[in-house]
Amino acid sequence: MRILIVEDDQEASVVMARGLTESGHDCVTAPDGAYGLEEAHKGGFDVYVVDRMMPRLDGVGMVETLRREGDQTPVLFLSALGEVEDRVTGLKAGGDDYLVKPYAFPELIARVEALARRRETGSVQTVLKVGDLEMNLISREVTRAGRDIDLQPREFQLLEFLMRHAGQSVTRTMLLEKVWEYHFDPQTNVIDVHISRLRSKIDKGFDRAVLQTVRGAGYRLEA
Amino acid sequence: MRLPSVFRRTPFRLTLLFLALFAAAASALLLYIYFASRAEAATRAEADIRRELSALTAIYRERGVDALNAELIDRTSKGGPYLFLLMDAQGRPQTGNINESPIVEHAESERWEKFRLSGADARGRVARRAAMGVQLRLQGGELLFVGEDIGESEAYLNRLSLFLWGAAGIVFLLGLGGGLFVSRQVEGALGRLNAVVDSVQAGDLKQRVPVRNTGDELDELGGNMNAMLDRIEQSMASIRHAGDAIAHDLRSPLTRMRARLEVALIDADAGRVDGREALARALDEADDLLKTFNTVLSIARLQAASDIPDPAVFDAADLAADMAELYEPAAEDKLLDFAAQIERGLEVRGNRAFLAQALANLIDNAIKYTPAGGAVMLRARRRSSGEVEYSVTDTGPGVPDADRERIVERFVRLDNSRSEAGHGLGLSLVQAVAEIHGGRLDLAEGPGAVDGSGPGLRVGLVLPPA
Repeated sequence: MRILIVEDDQEASVVMARGLTESGHDCVTAPDGAYGLEEAHKGGFDVYVVDRMMPRLDGVGMVETLRREGDQTPVLFLSALGEVEDRVTGLKAGGDDYLVKPYAFPELIARVEALARRRETGSVQTVLKVGDLEMNLISREVTRAGRDIDLQPREFQLLEFLMRHAGQSVTRTMLLEKVWEYHFDPQTNVIDVHISRLRSKIDKGFDRAVLQTVRGAGYRLEA
Repeated sequence: MRLPSVFRRTPFRLTLLFLALFAAAASALLLYIYFASRAEAATRAEADIRRELSALTAIYRERGVDALNAELIDRTSKGGPYLFLLMDAQGRPQTGNINESPIVEHAESERWEKFRLSGADARGRVARRAAMGVQLRLQGGELLFVGEDIGESEAYLNRLSLFLWGAAGIVFLLGLGGGLFVSRQVEGALGRLNAVVDSVQAGDLKQRVPVRNTGDELDELGGNMNAMLDRIEQSMASIRHAGDAIAHDLRSPLTRMRARLEVALIDADAGRVDGREALARALDEADDLLKTFNTVLSIARLQAASDIPDPAVFDAADLAADMAELYEPAAEDKLLDFAAQIERGLEVRGNRAFLAQALANLIDNAIKYTPAGGAVMLRARRRSSGEVEYSVTDTGPGVPDADRERIVERFVRLDNSRSEAGHGLGLSLVQAVAEIHGGRLDLAEGPGAVDGSGPGLRVGLVLPPA
C-alpha cells in the first residue's frame, strides 16, 4: 500500500514511516498540509495519515480541500486533541478514522490497514469467506467446514468485522469502536472475554485456530 | 502641568461635563427669564401710558386745552409714576411735572422713546432712572408728552437677575462639591477593585474585594469578582492537586521502567539476554502511563468545562443495555452472578461516550472488587423525582462509611484494593461526568453480607431528566 503521511513533527513522521515500511507499505511524508496537498495531487495513495494541527494548512483544511476536489482516499486523522467534539470535527471534515496521540504503533498500523481494506471491498458482498469459515450476510448463517455455528447477534457482528478484516490485526479499541460503537477505554478485558466466547464457538473442535491473538496488538482472523 | 489625580478621574470628569451642561442650561433659562420679564415690563408700561394718553386726548378733544391743562395740574399734584408735559406748538413747556420733554424731535405723529431720568433717590443720591414715554401733536398744534418712570421694574429685573446668577453660582459650587464627593466615593470603590486585581496579577489569589451588601452595582461587581476569583482559585488548586497527583503517580512507574531498561541494557551488553522482554514490558508500562495520563486529562477537562461536551438527547436505557451486554461475559467469566434491570424510555441529555465510560467504570469496579460467587446488579430507572438513575450494586467487601467520600478523589485507592490493577481514577472520572451533567454520585452500603461476603457497595449515578 502507498501511504501519505502528513505530519509536522519530523521525528514522529520518521518513526511512523519506518514502522509502516517495516510492515510492507510504501510511505511518502509531507511536513505540512500545503505540501501534503501537493503530494496528494500526484495521486496513487491508498491512505492518507494526517495530523490535525500543522503550520500553514492544518489537517482539517487539507482534507476538506481534497474532499471538495473529489478525492475519496481514506483519511486517518492523528491528533493530540482527544475530546469528543474534536473527533466529531475531524470526521465531519471528511476523515474516516481518528486516532489520538500518543498511540500504540500496532493501533496505527491496524487502523491504516483497515481503512485501505475498506476501500478494496467497496462492492456489496453477501457471503464472507475466510478459509473454511463462511458467513452469509443475508440469512445470517455461519458455518465452518460445513458445520453450523450458532452465534448471538453481537458475536455475529464481531465475527463479521473480523472476517471483513481477515489477515489484518484489529485492536481491542477498534473492536469496541466499530462493533459496539463506543469510544471509551474499558479498564478490564471485556473485549477479550467476548473474543474468547467467539473463539470457543468457531475454533473449538477444529485442528486449526482461525482467530489468533496478536501480542501487543489485538486479534487477527487467519485463513 | 499634570492635574491632581482626582481631576483626571473618570467620575470627576463626568461630574464636570454634567456641570457644564447644567450651567449652559441654567444660563439659557436665566437669560430667557430676564428678557421675557423685561419685555413684559415694557409692554405693561406702554399699555399704561396709552391709557393715560387716550384719557388726556379725550379731555382735550371734548373740552379744549384749558381743561387739559387743569387735568394735568390735578394729576401731577396727585403724584404717581406718570410724567406729563404740555408744550405749545414751538415746544415751550406749559404744564407738567418735568421741565423739558426728553423727546426733542417734534414729529407730527406719535413718537415713542426710552430714556433716562435724572433725579434723586430716597437717600438723596443722584440716580438715573429708566423711563419711557410718547409724544404727539394735538389738533390745536400743542405738543403733549406722557411718560412713565419704569425705574422700579427695571431695578426689580436687575435684582432678579442678580439673584438668579447667585443661585446659579451656588448650584455650580454644590455640584462641584458633590461631584468631588461622588467621584471620591466611586474612586474608592474602584480603587479597592483595582487593588485586588493588581494583587491577583502579582500572583496573590487570596485577595478579595470587601463587600458591604449594599446592593449597588459596584458592590455587585465586587461580589462577582470574588466569586470569579473563588472559582479560579478552586480550579488552580485542583490543577495543582492534579499536577501533584500525576507527578506522584507517574514517578514510581517511570522509575521502575527506567530501572528495568537499565538492567536490560547491562544484561544485553553482557550478552546474557537480548533485552526484548524488557523492552516489551517497558512498552506495556508506557502504555499504562499514557492511559493514566489521558484519564487525568479527561477529568481535568470535564471539571474545567462549562457545559456537556457535544451533548445529545438519547435513551439512557439503551446505553445501560449495551453496557450490560458488553460486561456480562466478563462478570460471568469471574463467576459472578450478573443481572440487569432496565426500565424503558429514560431520556437524558448528555454525552453518550462519557456516560458510557462512567457506567463502564462503575461496572468494572464492581466486577473487579467482588469475589467469585458474588453478584453484580446493574439498574437503570426513573426516580420519583424524574431523575434518571444508573446504579451498580455488588456484594463485594464494600467501602467503610469513613472512606466513601475519599474514594472519589483522584488516585485514592483503599489499602485492600492495591492488589488489583487500576489507577484510582475510575470514580473520579465518574464524579466529573456526573457533575458536568448536573447530576451526582451516590455511594451507599450494598445489600448486606451474603454467604460470608462483605456488605457490598451500591453506587448510583443520578442524572437530571432531559
